Amino acid sequence: MNVVATTSAPVSLKLERIVQDYPAVAGGTNRVIDDVTLNFEGPGINMLLGPSGCGKSTLLRMMGGVRPNDVKTPSAGTIEIDGKSCDGAHEDVITVFQRYANRPDLSVFDNVAMPFRFKLWRERASNTEWTRRVRETIAAVGLADKERLLPAQLSGGQNQRVALARALVLQPRILLMDEPFAALDAQTRGDMQELLVDLFKQQPCLVVFVTHDVTEAMVLGDRVTVFSAQPGRVADDFRIEAVRPRMDLWLRSTDGLAMQQRILAQLHQSAGHGRVAVTV
Amino acid sequence: MSDRETLWNPYAPLTAHQRRLLGVGTVLFVLAAWAIVSATGLVGPNRLPAPWSVANALVLLAWDGAEHRSLLLTATAWSLMRVVSAGVLVVMIGVPLGVLMGAAPRINAALSPLIDPFRSAPVVALLPILVMWLGIGEWMKIVFLFIGAVVYLIPMVRDAILAVPQAYWISARDIGATPWECIRQAVLPIAMPRIFDGIIVAVSVMWTYITVAEYINAQEGLGQLIQNARRFSAMDQVFAGIIVIMALALISYQLMRYVRQRLYPWETAQ
Repeated sequence: MNVVATTSAPVSLKLERIVQDYPAVAGGTNRVIDDVTLNFEGPGINMLLGPSGCGKSTLLRMMGGVRPNDVKTPSAGTIEIDGKSCDGAHEDVITVFQRYANRPDLSVFDNVAMPFRFKLWRERASNTEWTRRVRETIAAVGLADKERLLPAQLSGGQNQRVALARALVLQPRILLMDEPFAALDAQTRGDMQELLVDLFKQQPCLVVFVTHDVTEAMVLGDRVTVFSAQPGRVADDFRIEAVRPRMDLWLRSTDGLAMQQRILAQLHQSAGHGRVAVTV
Repeated sequence: MSDRETLWNPYAPLTAHQRRLLGVGTVLFVLAAWAIVSATGLVGPNRLPAPWSVANALVLLAWDGAEHRSLLLTATAWSLMRVVSAGVLVVMIGVPLGVLMGAAPRINAALSPLIDPFRSAPVVALLPILVMWLGIGEWMKIVFLFIGAVVYLIPMVRDAILAVPQAYWISARDIGATPWECIRQAVLPIAMPRIFDGIIVAVSVMWTYITVAEYINAQEGLGQLIQNARRFSAMDQVFAGIIVIMALALISYQLMRYVRQRLYPWETAQ
């Protein structure tokens, strides 16, 4: 399979002292993200792990250039892609959302081919070229025999595969994933994680993956960044060297259990902070 | 159905047969009551014509053997033509305007004070004003129908656009769509079934206004037919006219429902 020519060009994504405030309901401001500096280099799967409300999704949206209309985002700090400051949508950055947003009236094929209805991508690939790419990507996510079906005829996991394919068909250098598997059942989630590892092996890129699931972070991540609860700060940041796919055996090994303990301890501690912060 | 469990349970499904039986049963019951009231002379024919005289009037209107003409057919054709021409205008202007209002909050903020109050405005009271502006010709009738229906359609189209989950917009933006491409490719297709519902309502509204539109100086049309019959106290013909209008409205409703189902089969499958 050769969905994407492996990009040898280095890719970097830098978050420099990011702060995010939102206006609080009671007046004043609520700090959601407090002074986060992160540096992602080259291909790899980077997990952002934290309790809900820690600002990790907000952070991911910032990276993807999704900006709310009413609040300045970020309140302070800079985002750099390949050393260049970036404050909006970037064509090398594609996001897979938890809500897969497939068009209900279009087939799997047409949903994956959606970007080529837009001027930006239509001008870059001939019809035969993008048709081939769409076919190959659909096959890569395991839906080759379902090209003609409508989203309503697919399961939740299969719909998320469609969304994943729509992102991968653009060969993004940076792939952002916003709790993409959180709404799926455990079995399907496991399958999707395996698929992601598989696809990553074939076409490495810089993945930033937001999750609140400790096991998911451990199974997928080359690097795991643990966030504290509101306001979100980096509480812990470490690499995982173990080879993927990481099976149950690894999760239950001494290494695996130690890592799990470390993460859970961090989360519990920061959850405590969170409660304090709320009452202040 | 006699079972209390299923009588007072909004989620208890009815079979198609049961539904038809109950619907037809009610209509037959009303007809029977009407027939009894007329036959016993409880209500005089000047107040309520008997069902059989209404049927007679229908037959006479449908084909007048003496004059060799069908009053009903010509009247229906004229009314239908007015509803269709006003309907084309309503869709051509109402849908784009509603989409613009749904898509652009500023346009919505600017235009909704002009449009929303008209939903509860006495549109019928506009008729004398329209006569003053446009005279008593064909245009006046079509513009009246247009105003009556478009003030319903525009807010419904706008709300259909606003009801599309933001996720569609965000993910289309993310894969490089311009704002217009987002509207065209991600928002509009998903809003279409609800927009079509708006068109169905607009057409129903026009059928209710057609008699009013044809009140003034209509030479032809179902409204004129009813008006004329009323003038000669031909109550059976008034009833016949009303029944024909209701039947036409029902037929166009069912027809559009069918078209909607064919155009957007995925909507019910979801």
